[in-house]
Amino acid sequence: MSPRRHLLTAGAVWVVLSVLGIVVVAGLQIIPVIASREAAIENHAFVLLTAVSVPVLMLVVVGLVYAALRFRAPNGTADGMADGIVDGPPIHGHRGFQAAWLAISLLMVLGLFAYGAVGLVEIRGAQAADFEVQVEAEQWAWHYAYANGVRSTELHVPVDRRVHLVIKSDDVIHSFWVPAFGVKQDAVPGHPTQIYVTATHAGTFPGMCAELCGLGHTGMTTTVVVADQAAVDAWLSNQPKPSPKPSPKPSPEASGS
Amino acid sequence: MIATRVLAAARTFAPRSRSFVPRPGLPRAILGAIIGFALGGGLAAELKAEPGQMLALAYLFGLAGFLLGVGAFRFWLTWAVGREIDVAEEHAAHGRAGEWQRYFRFTTDHKVIGVQYLVTAFVLFFTAGTAAMFMRFELAQPGIATNKELYNTIMSTHGAMMITVALVSIIGGLGNYLVPIMIGARDMAFPKANALSYWMLPLAILLVAINPLLGGFDSGWTAYPPLSQQANLGQQAYLMAFVTVGVSSILSAINFLVTVFRMRAPGMSLMRMPIFVWALTVTAALALIATSVVAAAFTMLLFDRILGTAFFRASRGGDVILFQHLFWFYSHPAVYIMALPGLGAILEVVPVFARKPLFAYPLAVLSFISIGVMSFMVWAHHMFVSGMAEFFHIPIMLTTELISVPTGIVFLSALGTIWLGRIQFKVPMLWVFGFIWAFLIGGITGVFLADVPTDIALSDTAFVVAHFHYTIVGGTIFGLFAGTYYWFPKITGRMYNERLGRLHFWWFTLAFNATFIPMFWLGIEGMRRRVADYPAEFGTVNLFISIAAFNIALSVGVFAFNMIRSWKTGPVAESNPWQAQTLEWQIASPPPIQNFDEIPTVTATPYQYGSPRPAAAEGSSGS
Repeated sequence: MSPRRHLLTAGAVWVVLSVLGIVVVAGLQIIPVIASREAAIENHAFVLLTAVSVPVLMLVVVGLVYAALRFRAPNGTADGMADGIVDGPPIHGHRGFQAAWLAISLLMVLGLFAYGAVGLVEIRGAQAADFEVQVEAEQWAWHYAYANGVRSTELHVPVDRRVHLVIKSDDVIHSFWVPAFGVKQDAVPGHPTQIYVTATHAGTFPGMCAELCGLGHTGMTTTVVVADQAAVDAWLSNQPKPSPKPSPKPSPEASGS
Repeated sequence: MIATRVLAAARTFAPRSRSFVPRPGLPRAILGAIIGFALGGGLAAELKAEPGQMLALAYLFGLAGFLLGVGAFRFWLTWAVGREIDVAEEHAAHGRAGEWQRYFRFTTDHKVIGVQYLVTAFVLFFTAGTAAMFMRFELAQPGIATNKELYNTIMSTHGAMMITVALVSIIGGLGNYLVPIMIGARDMAFPKANALSYWMLPLAILLVAINPLLGGFDSGWTAYPPLSQQANLGQQAYLMAFVTVGVSSILSAINFLVTVFRMRAPGMSLMRMPIFVWALTVTAALALIATSVVAAAFTMLLFDRILGTAFFRASRGGDVILFQHLFWFYSHPAVYIMALPGLGAILEVVPVFARKPLFAYPLAVLSFISIGVMSFMVWAHHMFVSGMAEFFHIPIMLTTELISVPTGIVFLSALGTIWLGRIQFKVPMLWVFGFIWAFLIGGITGVFLADVPTDIALSDTAFVVAHFHYTIVGGTIFGLFAGTYYWFPKITGRMYNERLGRLHFWWFTLAFNATFIPMFWLGIEGMRRRVADYPAEFGTVNLFISIAAFNIALSVGVFAFNMIRSWKTGPVAESNPWQAQTLEWQIASPPPIQNFDEIPTVTATPYQYGSPRPAAAEGSSGS
């Protein structure tokens, strides 16, 4: 078989498998629960990156399998190198092929970057917020403080509103993660962080600490309740307001010494 | 009081004038370590130091005592006091062929040091693997079967040890053994510094291994403050050990660079060097430049813990995120310090078993150099959700995605070499195929972590665990196995058992994929990393993963059995059983103590398969 035939046969297999793969992947929902605008953007990115990965994966896999099947030396699996071993053709490289490989991979990468940058700005760019909550992490619990002074251990946010979360910690680094929202942000001592999220579905969703924070890390979970604005307002006005001067939390350094 | 008594005791053992420590060796090193440890500890007790300060002093003195005892400084100290060293003693330090004791001494022969590194790395690999088995036992079912604190400690220890394996196994083991021979030199440029870099490791490794006795540490190998500031003494043991490994790594990097740039045989131009040597050269440059950054970060963290500084204490003006920048500024290049030697080993094996020249050799060299340069510009992709400056996501995402272009060249070279070859499927070549698959999965899943929108969902999940196991096991461990089988006949003079090697490959590869493929799914479904427990719905998948992981351990048992048995009783190997063209195969197996009777002259790259030219070198000995 001529080198050209080998390339064409393997190429045909590659094209078929790639197309099949992309058809299967397109339209998949990869993030299991999507309950926010951000999670929807991320799911879209997942599908696109998976679709782009398919031809890359297939290129290498088809190359490997084809070579293993067709370029195996006659006694290539015997113990030890056989006597009278025969070498392959002395090909040291192929300028055109190398240039094409470089150009295509560079273009793919730049395309992915542009796409990623757009998604990044959509998710993390500064936005006007409709609803503010302060998220306070500590070893090993979550607390939420609302604009009207109410504090809670479950996060209540309105649906279809831009929620601004300011995330704080006084002891170690934690990370606020609600999988269904597609948001994750570290809580850093001495350095409040912030994220925006727009919930698109009412319901109750689990949240958790994603950054190893010590013994209780595994159990540092929380609950997020998404309801319409009226329900959230009603909930907020029914909560007991703490005394105007909340007792300051003992800082871990003070208590530790 | 204690200190004075210890000092008195030390004086009796102290070296008398003339020669430093008459017969240096392992027993004396252990004695030195104990004396140093007692001295440091006693001094700290006298100064009424806190436990952390005491551990630091005891370790520093213990390390000094160990190195003095093993004889690491005797030549330098002799020079320092203005005396000439005894040539006979210097020769003796090089070791005599066939003498097993040289492996347990401060021996300056690079081949001995290579074997020391390699065996140490495999012992560490088995230990850290056992820790992984503990983790998989805990994770096999939802709920807590052992205990959370122990889990965090074992998880952190597994990471710390495996990182060390990945850092030292190929470069320290195979690199030390092979690089001088591959470039036609008789030894490394600085044999004594070479031995010193090895002998800094045993005590550091011991310190990590005993950290559970000191209360363990729960910060993971990344040691992020403030968690690592409040953790137990075991944390400090890890930090000090890692700084020691770093110093050793810098020493060995300098040695590699000088060796490669100054000691090549006539005709061995840079572009005729074996690709493995190129990989290690770039690796050494990375280790030299980057390691001091992490050593500084860990030292600052140590100071925060034991001297009351506040580099990373937010409450006193320190910056918590700064640590992460410093840490990853080393630890991302470190991923390439781990992977490049593996890539080099793989590309060295491919042409031999495909019986074809290495495809696009100059481009592969260029890609290694580009990876080296670019690896310094991507560190913050570990920090997309850390709260670092917002604009910084954009350039880091770009550079992280760009580095996949030179990394992709490795696939071009490997596939291009295999294509139209006449493939001999010996065990090293099987590992090459396994490597290409594993590193490919690692690379593709890496794109999802480089892209910020998907990374937000995946960061800190089991997906990341699966990804870095595919890159580091794929890049380093598959390369290490390929290289170990490939060079086994050269190093030991005997053949390994091909059947057991095949069994090891298939068992390991299937079990490895069965372990980590499901973790990608778990991560996407929302299972976090570094947790001892998880929601019940992930129970079945985790049980499957645990069973697969135990199979990895069993397959590694086959490897250990094969290596030990073949080293003792395997059939004697020819000097060049693979009919390869690099210089190490042109001399006897195992190589004579000075490698070459006559330094060869090199006329071409060692990849002239299929060409009428019979070999790339002339005038070498022992063939």
